[in-house]
Amino acid sequence: MLERVREALSDREPLPHPGTFEGWRSTATPDPVDGLVQLLEDAGGEVVRQPSIDAAAAWLASFCADFESSAVGETVPLLLHPPLPPGAPDTAPLGVSLARGAVAETGSLIMDARDGRRAQLLVPTHVVFVYAAHVYATLREALIDLADDLPSAIGFHSGPSKSADIGQILVKGVHGPGRLIAVLIESEG
Amino acid sequence: MSFTGPTKYREEAAKILRETPEVRTSVTAATRTFDAHRIRAWEQIDAESWRDWARDVKTHALGNLDAYLEQAEEQLTANGAHVHWAETADDALAILSEVVRDHGIESTVKAKSMLSEELGVNKHLEGLGVHVRETDLGEYIIQLLDQPPSHIVGPAIHLSVDDCRRLFHEKLGTPLDAEPDELAGAARDALRAEFLAADLGISGGNFLAADSGTVALIENEGNIRLSTSLPRVHVAFVGIEKLVPRLEDVSGFLQLTARSATGQPIGNFVSLIQGPRKSDEVDGPEEVHVVLVDNGRTKLLADDVAWEALRCVRCGACLNICPVYRQTGGHAYGWTYSGPIGAIIAPGMLGLEEAMPLPFASSLCGACTDVCPVRIPIPELLVHWREQAARQGLTPATETLGLKAYTKLAQSPELFAVANSMLRHVPLELAGRALPVLNGWIQERAAPTSSKKSFLEMWKEGIE
Amino acid sequence: MRVSLFATCLGNQFYAEACADAVRLLRHVGVDVDVPEGQTCCGQPAHNAGRPDEARSMATHIMHVFADAEYVVLPSGSCAGMIRSFYRELIDSDPGQAESLAGRTYELSQFLRRVLNVDSLGTGLRGRRVAYHHGCHALRELGVKDEPISLLAGCGAEVVEWEAAEECCGFGGLFSAKLPEVSAAMADRKLDTLPDIDFMTSSDGGCLLQLSGRAAKRRTGPPFVHLASALWRGVTE
Repeated sequence: MLERVREALSDREPLPHPGTFEGWRSTATPDPVDGLVQLLEDAGGEVVRQPSIDAAAAWLASFCADFESSAVGETVPLLLHPPLPPGAPDTAPLGVSLARGAVAETGSLIMDARDGRRAQLLVPTHVVFVYAAHVYATLREALIDLADDLPSAIGFHSGPSKSADIGQILVKGVHGPGRLIAVLIESEG
Repeated sequence: MSFTGPTKYREEAAKILRETPEVRTSVTAATRTFDAHRIRAWEQIDAESWRDWARDVKTHALGNLDAYLEQAEEQLTANGAHVHWAETADDALAILSEVVRDHGIESTVKAKSMLSEELGVNKHLEGLGVHVRETDLGEYIIQLLDQPPSHIVGPAIHLSVDDCRRLFHEKLGTPLDAEPDELAGAARDALRAEFLAADLGISGGNFLAADSGTVALIENEGNIRLSTSLPRVHVAFVGIEKLVPRLEDVSGFLQLTARSATGQPIGNFVSLIQGPRKSDEVDGPEEVHVVLVDNGRTKLLADDVAWEALRCVRCGACLNICPVYRQTGGHAYGWTYSGPIGAIIAPGMLGLEEAMPLPFASSLCGACTDVCPVRIPIPELLVHWREQAARQGLTPATETLGLKAYTKLAQSPELFAVANSMLRHVPLELAGRALPVLNGWIQERAAPTSSKKSFLEMWKEGIE
Repeated sequence: MRVSLFATCLGNQFYAEACADAVRLLRHVGVDVDVPEGQTCCGQPAHNAGRPDEARSMATHIMHVFADAEYVVLPSGSCAGMIRSFYRELIDSDPGQAESLAGRTYELSQFLRRVLNVDSLGTGLRGRRVAYHHGCHALRELGVKDEPISLLAGCGAEVVEWEAAEECCGFGGLFSAKLPEVSAAMADRKLDTLPDIDFMTSSDGGCLLQLSGRAAKRRTGPPFVHLASALWRGVTE
């Protein structure tokens, strides 16, 4: 098959790679974190900002009062485990994950397979912790960084699951989580 | 239901217009909405420069495709994935059969993949006794209806909400007046069980980054993430033209494609898949197979003009703006890929004779060139295929002779004036006997009336 | 200043009075007009049908007919577009002359606005509600968009908002006859979205034939007026 490709290209002058394209935006967002929050909220996600891990843990404790169990990601620090009995990803009403980072330009949370894919995808309500220090301004920067240490899969989650396939009307929560809450932790200390 | 084939385009289009005019209404509304979203999303960025960049990266990639394919294979293999090469659809299906046999696959969940439609994957799996379930909501709907997709991005845009209500009432037992939320909820519950039970997940690939061995997939629902994460085996069919040199290039394509297709900054869920689950991961497929598919793409690549069509990122923007596509939706085109992109790749991939009359199913209005994110010069390619069609004798003889005769007239002003005068006195209906193609005009429009005197005659007599 | 008018095959046959109005308009703004005798067809139908040899023959003929023209003006966006966009590549025997011709060729409204800087031709269209159909080739090959609008408004017309104004009418030359059902549906889209108007106008004879022909078949639709005639009304009424 490669031979066919080579043959097809044999009399053509190849164009060199144009390199990196810097100018994604005509207007720049002043602060990456604000940009991230704006886009996540525009996409139907919810954003909670907490100054520290302790504050985030306190928020979580009160948030999960209405849930019976939760599926927790492998990389979530113990302090951020919800005070709930553990549940299987396919039955728990709540999932809690730690994002590897986030991308301001696209409003995306970076979900690493090592955290556990099922808990990121099967739960109806998904709480994702992300440190402000791990927010990349652009997708390109994020990918360059991620390339050094790639798991089997990375997911970029930019909002709750949605579809407009039924008569162009937007519905949420089709397959992935219908409710996405990003908890932005300002400082890791 | 399988595709009718492009050769029936005219009849199928006429039938849709005549018998199901609501399709035209649904498709017009849906495509106008998509296009409005794209316009807004492009206004937020330096779209012109971005499109230039995307065109150049893809052109570069295609120009060095052999090297990048080799690099991709190397990297994917190093990631633990199995890489297969499929020159034809049969090759691809044979590889799939082997995977099914080796793993005792009984049920599959499918992520939306136009390539898998092109290859006929579903029918093949059913033939092997494997249960196949489309999980994209739009694909699920048309699977229940046993119809092919009508649009590259929105397979069910030809259907109204009421069509969906009736379908779900029949198949899932939802009430006839259910809101879209309820319908989607019913689909979600039905499909969830299938996700959890399936042993094989099948996807396509939006992009394949050669330097990291990454298959990139875009979606909004989450069904692709689920289909490629839950089952123990994942097979990804990737057309060889999907190659992009670097993972960092993928960042630009993910965003440009999403903005062009649905007006979003990025698809709601993006999967970057390197290979099977690693030893330090708790879940994920045990095996990942990436099938690199040719199926006519090298033929297109060899064509000195039409190769540009391989830059396509399958955003559907050209379908959304095309005034021809808008009248009927995709079914009239009779093949996996419809609209302007379908018309320019079909001749390369199916062969020109099979693809007729698609290169002529265009008024050459050029709206597609305004919206293609990778700047494919679609009207140029359409004229190129028309030239090939004329050379290969695939156009009606009357057309060829008629144009030749017209050309002679146009080089002789006196004869031209005579013809002008004849047309003034001979009704178009009669002229239609000599040139049957003119009957097409009279069928739908009143015959035009010639001016009492030609302009050149008026000029000779003097114009006040 | 001398302008050579190229009436075009459709203009000569079906819109002779409009071409005469184009002559009157140009004279009215102080330009001498001639009409080279050998003019026939620019070759676009053959080019679009994938017959480069036939197109080349016609184009070469036209190039010679207008060889000495100071300016070539056409009451047609698509034919002007053909000459400007395709002649150079098509006439490989003399690309230099083809390019020179292309550089001197204009669609009527484009010429009036961009070369002659005409603003207001008169007040004859005052109180008239007019819909302007943008022919695809004028719009995309020539980049002519606000020229006809401003000239019509300059004569007092109200050029109305029209959702489908820039969408293809479905003519496409042979397309209209080869795939008539879809072509008619495209015309219907234009006609069915028209707001209440006094007349519709456009710079292209092909588009006008398509839309007026479809409207007549359906026994509906507004009056259709070629842009040259509309603007001449702006002068005389």
